[in-house]
Amino acid sequence: MRNLVSLLAALMIVAAGAALAGDKDKVYGKGVAAADTVRVSDLMANPDAWVGKTIRVQGRAVGVCEHRGCWINLASDVEGQTVRVKVKDGEIVFPPAILGDLVMAEGVWTANQLDMETTKKVCEANAKKEGREFKADEVTACMTLYQLSGTGAVAAKN
Amino acid sequence: MRDFRKVCWTLHREIGFLVVGLTIVYAVSGIAVNHAHHWDANYTRVAEPMTIEPTGAGPTAEVEPVVLERLGLTREQVKTTWRASPEVLQVFLESGGYEVNLVTGETVRRGARPRPLLFDLNFMHLNNGKGPWTAIADIYAGLLIVLALTGPLLVRGRKGLAGRGGVMMAAGVVLPVGYAVVMRLTR
Repeated sequence: MRNLVSLLAALMIVAAGAALAGDKDKVYGKGVAAADTVRVSDLMANPDAWVGKTIRVQGRAVGVCEHRGCWINLASDVEGQTVRVKVKDGEIVFPPAILGDLVMAEGVWTANQLDMETTKKVCEANAKKEGREFKADEVTACMTLYQLSGTGAVAAKN
Repeated sequence: MRDFRKVCWTLHREIGFLVVGLTIVYAVSGIAVNHAHHWDANYTRVAEPMTIEPTGAGPTAEVEPVVLERLGLTREQVKTTWRASPEVLQVFLESGGYEVNLVTGETVRRGARPRPLLFDLNFMHLNNGKGPWTAIADIYAGLLIVLALTGPLLVRGRKGLAGRGGVMMAAGVVLPVGYAVVMRLTR
């Protein structure tokens, strides 16, 4: 019995050693399996056409949730344009070190229709971030937030 | 029955020693990640403001090399850059990066340092490494089950299952079962 437990301990130590010898590419969640990659600019040009579909996008990670690592922003092939990949809190945690890495992410493309109150809050936050003056009266239409509900991602170092 | 109890004693003792380290890892990290909505359990953030000579909001291909030079960076040090807006260029390094306002020159140096020890404990607890650690975590969970099943059989009499031990065990079972029932009924 004691020998069995000792053997178990040895196996766990060997496995721990092997776990440290990781691959170069870092896989998050279920990784990626979809066949084709949709260009971010194509996605953003007609976002409603992709709603509900499982898609794969690729881009440099240029933003990450500082609080819980629960989202990343991927850069588009068009300057200034990004797409957000949101994952379930705690299921996948994107680290700060992912910034600048080339990331392939997969998930379901979703559209969230915001009410007017939330739309104004989002606009106010964006204005504050960009150093612009926010005028609530100028917000007249509700906003739709598009994002990829991510199930997995693969990050490649440079 | 006596032999069976002896096996339980041996298993409980040997496995008990084996899982001390892992239990501390999972327990400490468990408290840390349980409060993920209060703090980042893995990293401490650094944001240092500084100023460089502004380059103006010209085309990225023109301003980027100038910004890197003014930040004292070589191309090899840079992972990538990103023109977040007409006024802002972000520079990403292996560790942290810069956010530069091209018009004003106002710059923020951002970085994140892994929290000592806690980062490693969370890495194991959340199985971020996957691979063989999945097997280790599964074995550990199995060993905890063995500990839970053998523990109540170690002591006989008033302090055992038939007495106080049984009441304590029932309380420990009622707690999660009761919570699950309430959660189901109220959600």
